[in-house]
Amino acid sequence: MKNRTQSYLTEPLWLYVHFPKLASEAVLSVMNNASVDKPVVVVNRQNNAQRVACYNEPAKQWGIEKALSLSTALAICPELVVLAKNPRQEQQLLKQLAVIAYSFSSDVIIDTEGLWLELSTSELLFNGYTPLLKRLHRQISSLSITATNGIGKSPLAAKVLCTEHFHTHLPNNLQIMDALEATSLEVLPSNKRQQQTFKQLGLITIGELIKLPRSALSQRFSPDLLETLELLLGEKPYSAPRFQPATEFYDDMQNPQGIYNKEGLAFPMETLLRRFHHYLIARQCQCAEIIWQFEPLLGASQSMTVNLSDSSQDCGNLLDLSRLHLERLNLPLSIERISLFCNQFTTSSNPVFDLFDNLKAENCPSSKLIDCLHARLGKNAISQITKDAEHLPELASKITHIGSQPSTQSQHKLKETQQPIWLLPVPAPIRMYRRQLYWKKPLTIVRGPERICANWWQSEQQRDYYLASDHLGAHYWIYRESTDNTWFLHGVFA
Amino acid sequence: MPNKEILHNLFHRQDTWRGRNRSLRNRVVTTGFKDLNQLLLGGWPLSGLTELISPQDGIGEVSLLLPTIKHYVKQNTLCVWLNPPYQPNAQALLEADISLDQLLLVHTQNSREWLWAAEQIIRNNALLSAWTTGIEPNYAALRKLQLASSESLTPAFLFSPIKALNSPSPARLRMGLNSEKANILNVTLHKLKGKMPGAKTQIVFSNHQTERTPLNKLPVNIHYPEIPQPDYQIPKKDTLKRLNT
Repeated sequence: MKNRTQSYLTEPLWLYVHFPKLASEAVLSVMNNASVDKPVVVVNRQNNAQRVACYNEPAKQWGIEKALSLSTALAICPELVVLAKNPRQEQQLLKQLAVIAYSFSSDVIIDTEGLWLELSTSELLFNGYTPLLKRLHRQISSLSITATNGIGKSPLAAKVLCTEHFHTHLPNNLQIMDALEATSLEVLPSNKRQQQTFKQLGLITIGELIKLPRSALSQRFSPDLLETLELLLGEKPYSAPRFQPATEFYDDMQNPQGIYNKEGLAFPMETLLRRFHHYLIARQCQCAEIIWQFEPLLGASQSMTVNLSDSSQDCGNLLDLSRLHLERLNLPLSIERISLFCNQFTTSSNPVFDLFDNLKAENCPSSKLIDCLHARLGKNAISQITKDAEHLPELASKITHIGSQPSTQSQHKLKETQQPIWLLPVPAPIRMYRRQLYWKKPLTIVRGPERICANWWQSEQQRDYYLASDHLGAHYWIYRESTDNTWFLHGVFA
Repeated sequence: MPNKEILHNLFHRQDTWRGRNRSLRNRVVTTGFKDLNQLLLGGWPLSGLTELISPQDGIGEVSLLLPTIKHYVKQNTLCVWLNPPYQPNAQALLEADISLDQLLLVHTQNSREWLWAAEQIIRNNALLSAWTTGIEPNYAALRKLQLASSESLTPAFLFSPIKALNSPSPARLRMGLNSEKANILNVTLHKLKGKMPGAKTQIVFSNHQTERTPLNKLPVNIHYPEIPQPDYQIPKKDTLKRLNT
């Protein structure tokens, strides 16, 4: 039964995590007020009658059980809170849990009310199964979801062996086999006729079924029972599609009552960013841009883009930046739905570090500062200076906004004249009054002319530059245009 | 013992001044000018605001900071200029040996944004040169910046107009600048811990020798034109030798 190749590899070990209260938790997660103390019941429509699908602890104490009709339940407990089943929300919740589980194992399969994880490959990474299970339980409980688990050699065995609690200790192989054999046949997925036949044959536990020869079983029962047995014992691999996290991230949170102010948005944004963080870890990538969308009940939705100059996985930083962007945004009166979308991912680059070097690279704080300033002040507020190789000073020194980083900057020093620190991008004309130059105060020329003659292809410029000062000691860089003898102020020395 | 710890913390705080200036000397960065270093007991204070007050722009206040900016840019620290009065000239900064990728210019619209941006820049350990013309921060705002910069390790510079002298300021160092002659800056100390106000000094900026020679000193290639001799007789006049300009 075991191939030679399989004996070299570790045997597969499957974990089935069951969420018994998935329906109620899915519905309660949408509503803001988690009414924990009141008995809550989720009903499902079956055959023209509304039956109880899920109930919580206080409801259990009142005596409510599964498959009761709604009228019976209301008769038992008058102050029951009744909620309708929301399958879409359940699927979304399962997907989120699958993303969390994806960071524990690469083989994740989604079931109707649970998840399967293949654990044998993750043992070394987590230093043993117990820490792995404890961590998984902690992450699932942080979303306030109850879970129970079962462990087996095959997925079906794990599901069959599912118990009431979440076990963090792994049973050994013998215990698993014993538990499997001791399980009663009713748990096995089979139809009513097969169950009747089991009773007629006097078979109670799975162990007794396994002991019978297969050829005899194939004669008496349909082939799908044999297939179920083979899946149970791990002879046949379970071929269900494995869960893959989607290539784009889209998640939203709805609030039927509507959020009216910006502070109320903080909690849903934080929750969405936390889910995004799990997704990034599961896919081992980083993001550079996320898009928020705020939808009101009536009217157009508003979208807000948050850019990072340096792609990262840090969600705390993303939350701060999103909040800063939010302050500048005009939102409609009441927001019904908040969604987060991201489809630009970059693979995370491992930081190169030196074994003997204790200093950390200080690039991170400056990009964080730039992001922060961007978020609050807007893109146009921040700029950098670049130098072009031009003769005319106003063309040589340019201001560029952050983001359009010029890769080639001619930074070599030409032996030019001494230039002022402040430059006026457009030279300002100076008045000449009674043979005295005026720029708010009378100017006197200090140093002689230097000629810059350039730009003949656009407009012939022949300028004589002088250094001038006024009586307070400030120095100016003025020039006289040779074509029409007008004086201009081009720069201020500081 | 808890008392010893409290005393230790108290002694090593930034705003505790121990007699004989013992704790002040290590928290300065050199200004680049010897006279100024002597005046300021070592250089610019590393933690705390420095306020430079000048009657108008253009007398040399930024040139005073150029060596410090150069020093920090070489260490890969971001240098941010907040609301500069004019556009900086790339050529002049390159001549002062300052690489342009570490320089950032930020323009804000109102005083709240200015204050927020200044605080963020200081908290992120970037070198701040901020101009307060048009903003006129009050004592509370300046105190906020002073507190932020007392926790950071890079100096922060504020350029204020001369009417800021009338109002008190929590800055650690306050200097007045004015100049009467070209390239000579007069520095007056208004406030510094450990020194009496009123001390003065003069900073002389060295003139860069330019490579270009002025026009009237150019060695011109003088050659005289050949005037052909006519073959008929004309009354001779003195032929003036003309320069080929």
